[in-house]
Parts: sequence; structure tokens; C-alpha cells
Amino acid sequence: MTEPDEIRIPRFDAYERVMHWMAALSFGYATLTGLAIWSPKLYWMGTMLGGGFHIRGTHPWSGVVFAVMIGVMFRRWAAGMGLDADDRVWLTRLHNYATHDHGALPPSGRFNAGQKMLFWSQVATTLALFATGMVLWFPEWMPRSLRLASIALHPLAAIGSITSILVHIYMGTAAVPQSMRAMLRGYVVPEWARFHHPKWYREWRASHRS
Amino acid sequence: MTVAKLIDTTLCIGCKACEVACQEWNDQEYTLGTFGGTYQTMPDLAHNFWNLIKFNEMERDGGTSWLMSKYQCMHCAEAGCLAACPAPGAIVARPNGTIDFVQDNCIGCGYCITGCPFDVPRLSPTTKKVYKCSLCSDRTAVGLEPACIKTCPTNCLTFGERDELVRIAEARSTELKADGFPDAGVYNPQGVGGTNVLYVLKHASEPEQYGLPKDPHIPLSVSLWKGPMKWLGTLMFWGTILGTFLHFVIYGPQDPSKHGHPEKEDEPRDRA
Repeated sequence: MTEPDEIRIPRFDAYERVMHWMAALSFGYATLTGLAIWSPKLYWMGTMLGGGFHIRGTHPWSGVVFAVMIGVMFRRWAAGMGLDADDRVWLTRLHNYATHDHGALPPSGRFNAGQKMLFWSQVATTLALFATGMVLWFPEWMPRSLRLASIALHPLAAIGSITSILVHIYMGTAAVPQSMRAMLRGYVVPEWARFHHPKWYREWRASHRS
Repeated sequence: MTVAKLIDTTLCIGCKACEVACQEWNDQEYTLGTFGGTYQTMPDLAHNFWNLIKFNEMERDGGTSWLMSKYQCMHCAEAGCLAACPAPGAIVARPNGTIDFVQDNCIGCGYCITGCPFDVPRLSPTTKKVYKCSLCSDRTAVGLEPACIKTCPTNCLTFGERDELVRIAEARSTELKADGFPDAGVYNPQGVGGTNVLYVLKHASEPEQYGLPKDPHIPLSVSLWKGPMKWLGTLMFWGTILGTFLHFVIYGPQDPSKHGHPEKEDEPRDRA
């Protein structure tokens, strides 16, 4: 697929790749076990992963791992996740992006506005899931009013979180070819960078002009 | 046939024989209680203590009135614990109206503790499962009455067909009213569809004095979670899966060679 002499632009270093896939694995596990507890119709997911009693013990821990990974991501990425003027225009032209009308879009930096929105929505839902999850984890120590609120808010936050991740998985696999390689192997080719992230590409080119 | 337990609190002498019978029949380990300045054996229910006679003190007409109540599972027609339970088969509503916990299927999440408007289920710190009064379902299944009923020396406790017990309870409260307790009545809260543990109370308009909630019902957040939230989630998940799949079918992947824009081709290609 790639020629040995092709130009490679580093996109995600090993630290970012590890933190992403740790988050992905813990999220996948928390989702399957959470869905099992969410609906009796999906209880078989929990049975496959060791049974209801087992997943009641492990689900909170997978949530803790995920929340820690979101914290690591926050430290690494938050500074670059603010929306600039181009991003704000970009968001109003989401339909152009969805219909491949890229000519109508302002140029994106290292992350486009959609990726930035995913980042902030994950930060928000993870905070909500973590807070309500701690309440549900230790019911015998928590006041009933908090437990009652958490029973409804935890799955509500999870619905938002899982939905945005479903879109994320689609974008990272089928919708944008080669983005999976960026997260698995860490690099992209110039053509990809120039098309998807022009401003970021220009920065790279400026620093690599020899 | 729905069975029920009738507790005529006006006949309770606080002997606590029912507590002992419950512990004996259900083979519960005895735990040393704490002294809280009352005649109560324990301050609260526990995972291995399902039936507590509460000695409620009430100030009335310049004197102290002692209101006994039997704190235990109410076996609701619409049970909050059952509504909140996520584990299939862990909480079972038996055909005779008994709400039974099946510990083999319990995952120990504690949702039933939150769902119960009477604050009855208790989590065991050792087995990490939840326990409560079973209405002695292992006795009633073979035609015996629950252990607490069997042992009660004053006939304060009666077991039998629910409709019949409701009639007895009504008759008893009429009797009490005639005897100078105008506020006497039956505690059979309709917010949970009625309970299969019925009380005759001297002060029926103030059940809180007995430690009983005035208007118990299945909590709103539990109903939301088990109802509209399921539809919302199903819609969001399948909608997103279908939406992204159809997007791919209609538009295909993003392709720099096809979707590029000539007016922005001012960037020189690196390979050139």
C-alpha cells in the first residue's frame, strides 16, 4: 500500500496512540458491560463477558481507566482544541463537509472543528459519567437523592457518549481512508494532510523546508 | 390467590418474638446490636436482619405514646425494587404477590435499594448481594404461614388471603374508631398499587410517626430509566448506525483526488 520512499508526516506519537487505544479498549468494555446492565435484552453481553455479578465489579473499573485516559488526553490536547474563526465557520458548513463539498470549507488545523467537538463532548460526558458512576458504585455510602439522580443521568450521559463515539468510529474507519493508519502507525502522507488539515500541513511544510 | 400479612400495630406488645422467629427460620447469624436508648433490638434492618420492631415514641396530648411498627419488606403490588433491578431473575414477583430476591441471579448493583420507597433491601458486605424478607416463601410454598406470624403471641400478626385481610383490617379500624381513636385506619398505600403487608394504625393520617412513608411510589428516575430512556437510547444507537452506514452508501469515503478543490491548488505538492 505504501512505497518505502514515501514522505511520512508524523501525526500521532507513541504516547498519543497508546493513550487513544487504552481509552478505546476501556470504552469498548465499559460500553458492552454498561449496555448489559442498561437493558435486560442486552444482558447476554454481560453473560459473554463473565456474567452479571462479574461485570458489576469490573464495569466501574473500566470506567475509571477510561476517565483517567480522558484526563491524559485533556492534558495533551486541550490547549489545541479551542475553536478558531475558521472552525466556527466550518461548523456552520457541516452539511458541506458531509456531502464532500470541501471547496466550501475553511481550512482546518491539526484537528478540524468536528474532532474538536468530539473532544469536548467526550470531556463533558466523561465528567458526568464519572460523577454519577461513583455514586452508583457505592450505593451504601451515598444519599438516596444522589442515587436517584444518577440512575437516570448515568445512562443519559452514556447515550450521548456512545452516540458520538459511533460517529467517531465511522469517521476513523470507512469515512476517512488512512486516518486509521494515522492512529495505528502514527503517520500520514502529505496528500492526506494537505486535503484534510491544510493549516497543519502548512506548518509542517514550513518547518521541513530544506 | 394473593396472600398478605396483616399487622395490627395496636395489639403489638413489643415482645420481639417475631424477630427471633425470623432469625431462626431463615438461619441468620445473630449480630450484636447497639444500645440506642430504646427497647429496639437493632437501630436498623440489616442484610441478615429482615424484621425489626420499631419502638416509635410520639408526643401527644401532653403524654408520650408508644407506637410499635414492624419494619420489613412491604411486598408491593408495584415494587420499586423490581422496577429498578437490571438483572433478569434476581427479583421475582411470585403469583401469590410475594416479592422474592433470588441471590443466585443478583449482581449486587444495589439499584433495588434506591428503587425501594420503604428503604428495605440491604447489601451484604461479604456476599455483595442483597437480602430482605422473603415472606417466608419457602414456608408459604408448602402451605405454612411465615415464621413471624406463627410465633406472634397476641394475634397482632395475621396471614391469609389478601382480600379477606383487608376486610378484617377495615373492621378493626372501625372498632378502634368507636373505641376513641377517630384517626384509626388501614395503611395500604395506593402509590405502589397497594402492599401485601397491611397495617392497622391508630394514627392513620400520620404514618410517618410509625416510620412509614405517607405516599410511597416507584421513583420518577427509575421509571424514566426503564421507560423513555430505553427508547431514546435505541433511537440514538440504531439511528447513528443506520445514518452513518447510509451516508457511506450514498456519498462514499472522502477522497482527496476526487473531492479536492482546484482553487486551493496553490499549495505545491511535495513530490513535485
